[in-house]
Amino acid sequence: MNLLARIQRPLGFMALLWLGVGLWMVFNAPIDFQQGNSVRILYAHVTSAKMSLFSYILLTIASITYLVKKSETADIIAEAAAPVGAAFTAVTLASGSIWGKPMWGTWWAWDARLTSMLVLLIIFMGLMALRSSLEEPTKAARATAILAIIGAVDLPIIHYSVVWWRTLHQPPSFGGASGNPTITGDLLPPLLVMAIAFILMGAYLVVVKAREVAALRQLEALDIERMEEDD
Amino acid sequence: MLKAAYRIAWKDMVGDLRRRSSLSSMLFFAIAVLVVFQAAFEPDRQAAVKLLPGLVWATVLFTSLMGLGRVFQAEEENGAFEGLLLASVPRGIIFLGKWLGNLFLTLLVQAMILPLTMILFNVDAWHVIHHIFGVLVLGILGLTGLGVLLAAMTQAARSRETLLALLLLPLVAPLLIAGVQATAGVMVADGQPWPWIKLLLIFDMVYLALAPWGFSWLVEE
Repeated sequence: MNLLARIQRPLGFMALLWLGVGLWMVFNAPIDFQQGNSVRILYAHVTSAKMSLFSYILLTIASITYLVKKSETADIIAEAAAPVGAAFTAVTLASGSIWGKPMWGTWWAWDARLTSMLVLLIIFMGLMALRSSLEEPTKAARATAILAIIGAVDLPIIHYSVVWWRTLHQPPSFGGASGNPTITGDLLPPLLVMAIAFILMGAYLVVVKAREVAALRQLEALDIERMEEDD
Repeated sequence: MLKAAYRIAWKDMVGDLRRRSSLSSMLFFAIAVLVVFQAAFEPDRQAAVKLLPGLVWATVLFTSLMGLGRVFQAEEENGAFEGLLLASVPRGIIFLGKWLGNLFLTLLVQAMILPLTMILFNVDAWHVIHHIFGVLVLGILGLTGLGVLLAAMTQAARSRETLLALLLLPLVAPLLIAGVQATAGVMVADGQPWPWIKLLLIFDMVYLALAPWGFSWLVEE
């Protein structure tokens, strides 16, 4: 926790710096031949999609570590990763919809990636709801850790079942398997800078949230101690 | 060892059959759901045939939620869960027993719901009803496997029934897709249910392997 306290501020400054440079590059990048200005949404969309998956991977690793080693730090990180991941997933879905309306002519399509992203968001919400509705801290930690692992197993199954469903029953709703043209040339550097900025921002958010969770737990422990003294 | 699982399952089955409350409430809830679907979609005969797989699976999912909400209720109310955990059998076996009990109850209710749906929606698929039921059984294996684990997770939670639905419904999305497609596949002569049945089997294997393991982590002291 001391380490987190020390890196929090430098991490925040770095994230801000990279984000500033990244945004500047995004708005100076040439507009796309087909997509026009709306291609700029993708710099935030693609990066937050990656971050939502990273958050879930972090959450899963922390959950497994907690179950195996019973380390409280792992549980705190798992608790902190859930809301951060949920936020990135929500940004991914929202930005994708805003981009999809002019590009595909629709806000939403039930394709594999959209469906699994939506389920990912519900799983993040479910993890938070489960933790907050279980009174006993160890029980809550254990239940959410197991749920996180179940979700990690489920997400690929969901993804492939929807791919299967769509390929067997109707052609993809939009051009090609992904609808994203390959990115080349001038569009790549801003994307890379934005990716680094988002990783730093995600790390910063997890650190802040983890410190908050740790502080809350300490407070609760102090409360219990004080009540015991009163008795 | 398996005898212990069988005993736990037997206790739950006998309890469910004697009390009849979960059985009849699940059944009448299913009928209520069917009435809602009928009122909402008003399908004619042709539309009803197309809708049937989805109708059956949605009804199965909603009614199974009711049964799952009660899996650990008796233990919870009387504080008997600790007693069950004190028994000198592996936790996986306890899970197996609770799962078998719920599987029996769910299958019993679905066996009644399926013909009922076909009667109420005027769908003439009686010649393939055993195939449809076979697909349902495959789906229910995995559904109850994951469901009983989630029920164990949420049993001590506030507003546990809502939480159970929130957790279960998105996780069983692949099961629902595969089940509906497989059911639609067996209903027509030239249908292709096999890829979907395979997906159902994968889902069953994954969750029936994962669930006892998750349960033993969950209740560990």
